[in-house]
Amino acid sequence: MADEEEDRRLMGLVAAGDDDALRLLVHRHHARLVGYLRSEVGSQATAEELAMEVFIRLHRAAGRWRPEAKLSTYLIHIARNLVLNEWRRRSRKPTSALESAPEPGDAAPESGRRVLELEEAFSRAVAQLPEEQRTAILLLVQQEMPYEEIASVMGCPVSSVKTWIHRARTRLKELMRDFYGLES
Amino acid sequence: MERRPAEHFDRDLEAALVRGRAMSVPGLAGRVVAAVRADRVRRVVIRWGSGLSAAAACLVAALMLNFPSEEALIVEARSLVAAEESAQFHEFLSLADDLALLQPVIERPALIEDLADGGS
Repeated sequence: MADEEEDRRLMGLVAAGDDDALRLLVHRHHARLVGYLRSEVGSQATAEELAMEVFIRLHRAAGRWRPEAKLSTYLIHIARNLVLNEWRRRSRKPTSALESAPEPGDAAPESGRRVLELEEAFSRAVAQLPEEQRTAILLLVQQEMPYEEIASVMGCPVSSVKTWIHRARTRLKELMRDFYGLES
Repeated sequence: MERRPAEHFDRDLEAALVRGRAMSVPGLAGRVVAAVRADRVRRVVIRWGSGLSAAAACLVAALMLNFPSEEALIVEARSLVAAEESAQFHEFLSLADDLALLQPVIERPALIEDLADGGS
Protein backbone atom coordinates (compact mmCIF):
# COMPACT_ATOMS: atom_id res chain seq x y z
CA MET A 1 0.00 0.00 0.00
CA ALA A 2 2.93 2.32 0.80
CA ASP A 3 4.18 1.67 -2.75
CA GLU A 4 0.85 2.73 -4.21
CA GLU A 5 0.82 5.90 -2.16
CA GLU A 6 4.31 6.73 -3.31
CA ASP A 7 3.24 6.12 -6.91
CA ARG A 8 0.30 8.49 -6.47
CA ARG A 9 2.53 11.14 -4.97
CA LEU A 10 5.04 10.84 -7.80
CA MET A 11 2.32 10.90 -10.45
CA GLY A 12 1.03 14.13 -8.99
CA LEU A 13 4.50 15.62 -9.33
CA VAL A 14 4.87 14.31 -12.87
CA ALA A 15 1.56 15.95 -13.79
CA ALA A 16 3.01 19.21 -12.46
CA GLY A 17 6.00 18.85 -14.81
CA ASP A 18 8.55 17.40 -12.38
CA ASP A 19 11.01 15.40 -14.50
CA ASP A 20 12.85 14.05 -11.44
CA ALA A 21 9.61 12.46 -10.25
CA LEU A 22 9.27 10.84 -13.67
CA ARG A 23 12.84 9.56 -13.41
CA LEU A 24 11.99 8.00 -10.04
CA LEU A 25 8.86 6.36 -11.43
CA VAL A 26 10.88 4.85 -14.26
CA HIS A 27 13.42 3.52 -11.74
CA ARG A 28 10.63 1.92 -9.73
CA HIS A 29 8.72 0.26 -12.54
CA HIS A 30 10.83 -0.21 -15.64
CA ALA A 31 12.43 -3.56 -14.75
CA ARG A 32 9.19 -5.50 -14.55
CA LEU A 33 7.79 -3.63 -17.52
CA VAL A 34 10.79 -4.54 -19.68
CA GLY A 35 10.62 -8.14 -18.42
CA TYR A 36 7.00 -8.43 -19.48
CA LEU A 37 7.60 -6.75 -22.84
CA ARG A 38 10.65 -8.88 -23.51
CA SER A 39 8.58 -12.02 -22.96
CA GLU A 40 5.89 -10.74 -25.28
CA VAL A 41 7.96 -9.49 -28.21
CA GLY A 42 11.06 -11.65 -27.86
CA SER A 43 13.55 -8.85 -28.47
CA GLN A 44 15.40 -6.90 -25.79
CA ALA A 45 15.84 -3.86 -28.07
CA THR A 46 12.16 -3.77 -29.01
CA ALA A 47 11.18 -4.28 -25.37
CA GLU A 48 13.26 -1.25 -24.34
CA GLU A 49 11.78 0.90 -27.13
CA LEU A 50 8.29 -0.08 -26.14
CA ALA A 51 9.04 0.54 -22.47
CA MET A 52 10.19 4.08 -23.32
CA GLU A 53 6.97 4.63 -25.26
CA VAL A 54 4.95 3.41 -22.27
CA PHE A 55 6.53 6.01 -20.01
CA ILE A 56 6.17 8.77 -22.59
CA ARG A 57 2.47 7.99 -22.85
CA LEU A 58 2.23 7.85 -19.08
CA HIS A 59 3.75 11.32 -18.91
CA ARG A 60 1.25 12.68 -21.45
CA ALA A 61 -1.65 11.18 -19.50
CA ALA A 62 -0.34 12.17 -16.05
CA GLY A 63 -2.76 15.07 -15.74
CA ARG A 64 -5.73 12.80 -16.45
CA TRP A 65 -4.60 9.75 -14.44
CA ARG A 66 -6.95 8.71 -11.65
CA PRO A 67 -5.62 6.26 -9.08
CA GLU A 68 -8.53 3.79 -9.25
CA ALA A 69 -6.10 1.13 -10.43
CA LYS A 70 -2.54 0.50 -9.40
CA LEU A 71 0.03 2.35 -11.46
CA SER A 72 1.78 -0.94 -12.28
CA THR A 73 -1.48 -2.28 -13.72
CA TYR A 74 -1.95 0.90 -15.75
CA LEU A 75 1.59 0.58 -17.13
CA ILE A 76 0.97 -3.02 -18.18
CA HIS A 77 -2.29 -1.93 -19.79
CA ILE A 78 -0.46 0.64 -21.94
CA ALA A 79 2.30 -1.88 -22.65
CA ARG A 80 -0.17 -4.49 -23.84
CA ASN A 81 -1.73 -2.05 -26.31
CA LEU A 82 1.72 -1.31 -27.69
CA VAL A 83 2.44 -5.04 -27.96
CA LEU A 84 -0.76 -5.50 -29.96
CA ASN A 85 0.31 -2.65 -32.28
CA GLU A 86 3.72 -4.28 -32.61
CA TRP A 87 2.17 -7.60 -33.61
CA ARG A 88 -0.06 -5.87 -36.15
CA ARG A 89 2.98 -4.10 -37.57
CA ARG A 90 4.86 -7.38 -37.80
CA SER A 91 1.96 -9.14 -39.49
CA ARG A 92 2.00 -6.45 -42.21
CA LYS A 93 5.74 -6.66 -42.67
CA PRO A 94 7.56 -9.99 -43.10
CA THR A 95 10.10 -10.47 -40.36
CA SER A 96 12.75 -13.03 -39.76
CA ALA A 97 12.05 -15.80 -37.30
CA LEU A 98 14.87 -14.49 -35.10
CA GLU A 99 12.85 -11.46 -34.12
CA SER A 100 10.26 -13.56 -32.36
CA ALA A 101 12.61 -16.16 -30.94
CA PRO A 102 14.21 -15.72 -27.54
CA GLU A 103 17.65 -14.20 -27.77
CA PRO A 104 20.37 -16.63 -26.68
CA GLY A 105 22.60 -15.94 -23.76
CA ASP A 106 20.12 -13.91 -21.77
CA ALA A 107 19.90 -16.38 -18.88
CA ALA A 108 22.09 -15.88 -15.85
CA PRO A 109 25.56 -17.36 -16.35
CA GLU A 110 25.36 -19.56 -13.28
CA SER A 111 22.39 -21.60 -14.61
CA GLY A 112 23.14 -25.16 -15.55
CA ARG A 113 23.10 -26.01 -19.23
CA ARG A 114 20.02 -28.22 -18.86
CA VAL A 115 18.10 -25.63 -16.91
CA LEU A 116 19.01 -23.06 -19.54
CA GLU A 117 17.86 -25.36 -22.29
CA LEU A 118 14.57 -25.96 -20.48
CA GLU A 119 14.01 -22.26 -19.93
CA GLU A 120 14.70 -21.46 -23.56
CA ALA A 121 12.30 -24.22 -24.58
CA PHE A 122 9.60 -22.69 -22.38
CA SER A 123 10.28 -19.22 -23.86
CA ARG A 124 9.94 -20.58 -27.40
CA ALA A 125 6.75 -22.40 -26.47
CA VAL A 126 5.20 -19.30 -24.86
CA ALA A 127 6.10 -17.29 -27.96
CA GLN A 128 4.05 -19.74 -30.03
CA LEU A 129 0.87 -19.25 -27.99
CA PRO A 130 -2.00 -17.18 -29.41
CA GLU A 131 -1.82 -13.57 -28.23
CA GLU A 132 -4.54 -13.72 -25.53
CA GLN A 133 -3.23 -16.95 -24.05
CA ARG A 134 0.34 -15.67 -24.00
CA THR A 135 -0.58 -12.39 -22.34
CA ALA A 136 -2.80 -14.09 -19.77
CA ILE A 137 -0.21 -16.68 -18.76
CA LEU A 138 2.57 -14.07 -18.59
CA LEU A 139 0.54 -11.73 -16.42
CA LEU A 140 -0.53 -14.55 -14.10
CA VAL A 141 2.66 -16.55 -13.75
CA GLN A 142 5.40 -14.06 -14.55
CA GLN A 143 3.91 -10.83 -13.19
CA GLU A 144 1.86 -12.54 -10.45
CA MET A 145 -1.22 -10.47 -11.16
CA PRO A 146 -4.56 -11.50 -9.73
CA TYR A 147 -7.25 -12.55 -12.19
CA GLU A 148 -9.24 -9.36 -11.69
CA GLU A 149 -6.28 -7.18 -12.62
CA ILE A 150 -5.51 -9.32 -15.65
CA ALA A 151 -9.13 -8.93 -16.73
CA SER A 152 -8.82 -5.18 -16.30
CA VAL A 153 -5.64 -5.03 -18.38
CA MET A 154 -7.08 -7.21 -21.13
CA GLY A 155 -10.50 -5.59 -21.08
CA CYS A 156 -12.42 -8.81 -20.66
CA PRO A 157 -14.31 -10.81 -18.01
CA VAL A 158 -12.43 -12.89 -15.45
CA SER A 159 -13.99 -16.02 -16.95
CA SER A 160 -12.27 -15.29 -20.27
CA VAL A 161 -8.92 -14.92 -18.49
CA LYS A 162 -9.35 -18.28 -16.80
CA THR A 163 -10.28 -19.91 -20.10
CA TRP A 164 -7.22 -18.53 -21.83
CA ILE A 165 -4.92 -19.64 -19.02
CA HIS A 166 -6.35 -23.14 -19.08
CA ARG A 167 -5.85 -23.32 -22.84
CA ALA A 168 -2.36 -21.88 -22.53
CA ARG A 169 -1.31 -24.54 -20.04
CA THR A 170 -2.77 -27.28 -22.24
CA ARG A 171 -0.99 -25.97 -25.32
CA LEU A 172 2.31 -25.53 -23.47
CA LYS A 173 2.15 -29.13 -22.27
CA GLU A 174 1.74 -30.23 -25.87
CA LEU A 175 4.67 -28.11 -27.00
CA MET A 176 6.87 -29.30 -24.14
CA ARG A 177 6.05 -33.00 -24.26
CA ASP A 178 9.57 -33.87 -25.42
CA PHE A 179 10.85 -32.60 -22.07
CA TYR A 180 8.22 -34.21 -19.87
CA GLY A 181 6.54 -37.55 -19.53
CA LEU A 182 3.28 -36.08 -20.65
CA GLU A 183 0.49 -37.69 -22.64
CA SER A 184 0.02 -35.95 -26.03
CA MET B 1 17.50 -35.56 -22.91
CA GLU B 2 16.09 -37.35 -19.89
CA ARG B 3 12.45 -36.53 -19.42
CA ARG B 4 11.36 -34.69 -16.35
CA PRO B 5 8.43 -35.86 -14.23
CA ALA B 6 5.08 -34.50 -15.41
CA GLU B 7 4.31 -33.17 -11.93
CA HIS B 8 7.25 -30.75 -12.29
CA PHE B 9 5.67 -28.98 -15.27
CA ASP B 10 3.86 -26.18 -13.43
CA ARG B 11 6.82 -25.50 -11.17
CA ASP B 12 9.24 -25.42 -14.10
CA LEU B 13 6.91 -23.16 -16.10
CA GLU B 14 6.79 -20.73 -13.23
CA ALA B 15 10.55 -20.83 -12.75
CA ALA B 16 11.15 -20.23 -16.47
CA LEU B 17 8.78 -17.29 -16.68
CA VAL B 18 9.74 -15.73 -13.37
CA ARG B 19 13.37 -15.61 -14.48
CA GLY B 20 12.34 -13.00 -17.03
CA ARG B 21 10.05 -11.13 -14.68
CA ALA B 22 12.28 -8.10 -14.18
CA MET B 23 15.02 -6.82 -16.46
CA SER B 24 16.83 -3.74 -15.26
CA VAL B 25 18.07 -1.44 -18.01
CA PRO B 26 20.77 1.03 -16.94
CA GLY B 27 20.18 4.53 -18.25
CA LEU B 28 16.58 3.96 -19.30
CA ALA B 29 15.27 6.61 -16.92
CA GLY B 30 17.58 9.24 -18.45
CA ARG B 31 16.52 8.28 -21.96
CA VAL B 32 12.85 8.54 -20.99
CA VAL B 33 13.28 12.01 -19.50
CA ALA B 34 15.21 13.18 -22.59
CA ALA B 35 12.46 11.82 -24.86
CA VAL B 36 9.76 13.48 -22.76
CA ARG B 37 11.54 16.84 -22.93
CA ALA B 38 11.88 16.54 -26.70
CA ASP B 39 8.20 15.61 -26.92
CA ARG B 40 7.31 18.65 -24.81
CA VAL B 41 9.21 21.02 -27.13
CA ARG B 42 7.61 19.42 -30.19
CA ARG B 43 4.14 19.94 -28.76
CA VAL B 44 4.84 23.61 -28.02
CA VAL B 45 6.02 24.15 -31.60
CA ILE B 46 2.92 22.44 -32.97
CA ARG B 47 0.67 24.52 -30.72
CA TRP B 48 2.31 27.80 -31.81
CA GLY B 49 2.16 26.74 -35.43
CA SER B 50 -1.55 26.00 -35.17
CA GLY B 51 -2.18 29.35 -33.47
CA LEU B 52 -0.33 31.30 -36.14
CA SER B 53 -2.16 29.44 -38.92
CA ALA B 54 -5.50 30.24 -37.31
CA ALA B 55 -4.57 33.91 -36.93
CA ALA B 56 -3.51 34.10 -40.58
CA ALA B 57 -6.79 32.52 -41.66
CA CYS B 58 -8.76 35.09 -39.62
CA LEU B 59 -6.82 37.95 -41.18
CA VAL B 60 -7.50 36.70 -44.69
CA ALA B 61 -11.19 36.28 -43.87
CA ALA B 62 -11.38 39.82 -42.49
CA LEU B 63 -9.75 41.24 -45.63
CA MET B 64 -12.12 39.28 -47.86
CA LEU B 65 -15.19 40.57 -46.01
CA ASN B 66 -14.13 44.24 -46.19
CA PHE B 67 -13.54 44.25 -49.93
CA PRO B 68 -16.53 43.29 -52.11
CA SER B 69 -16.09 40.35 -54.34
CA GLU B 70 -16.09 40.53 -58.12
CA GLU B 71 -19.50 38.93 -58.22
CA ALA B 72 -20.90 41.52 -55.85
CA LEU B 73 -19.53 44.28 -58.06
CA ILE B 74 -21.11 42.73 -61.14
CA VAL B 75 -24.50 42.48 -59.43
CA GLU B 76 -24.27 46.08 -58.33
CA ALA B 77 -23.32 47.21 -61.82
CA ARG B 78 -26.24 45.37 -63.35
CA SER B 79 -28.69 46.93 -60.94
CA LEU B 80 -27.36 50.39 -61.78
CA VAL B 81 -27.65 49.71 -65.48
CA ALA B 82 -31.15 48.40 -64.99
CA ALA B 83 -32.06 51.54 -63.06
CA GLU B 84 -30.62 53.74 -65.82
CA GLU B 85 -32.41 51.79 -68.52
CA SER B 86 -35.61 52.03 -66.59
CA ALA B 87 -35.27 55.80 -66.32
CA GLN B 88 -34.57 56.17 -70.01
CA PHE B 89 -37.47 53.93 -70.91
CA HIS B 90 -39.74 55.89 -68.66
CA GLU B 91 -38.65 59.08 -70.30
CA PHE B 92 -39.31 57.58 -73.70
CA LEU B 93 -42.76 56.51 -72.70
CA SER B 94 -43.52 59.93 -71.31
CA LEU B 95 -42.51 61.49 -74.61
CA ALA B 96 -44.75 59.05 -76.44
CA ASP B 97 -47.61 60.02 -74.21
CA ASP B 98 -47.00 63.63 -74.96
CA LEU B 99 -46.94 62.89 -78.69
CA ALA B 100 -50.17 60.94 -78.42
CA LEU B 101 -51.87 63.93 -76.86
CA LEU B 102 -50.60 66.11 -79.61
CA GLN B 103 -51.68 63.68 -82.36
CA PRO B 104 -55.03 65.25 -83.43
CA VAL B 105 -53.40 68.70 -83.43
CA ILE B 106 -50.51 67.51 -85.57
CA GLU B 107 -52.84 66.02 -88.16
CA ARG B 108 -54.54 69.35 -88.76
CA PRO B 109 -52.69 71.11 -91.47
CA ALA B 110 -54.14 74.48 -90.47
CA LEU B 111 -52.47 74.28 -87.12
CA ILE B 112 -49.21 73.50 -88.72
CA GLU B 113 -49.49 76.41 -91.04
CA ASP B 114 -50.31 78.61 -88.12
CA LEU B 115 -47.32 77.33 -86.24
CA ALA B 116 -45.13 77.73 -89.26
CA ASP B 117 -46.27 81.31 -89.57
CA GLY B 118 -45.04 81.74 -86.02
CA GLY B 119 -48.46 82.73 -84.72
CA SER B 120 -48.39 86.02 -86.38
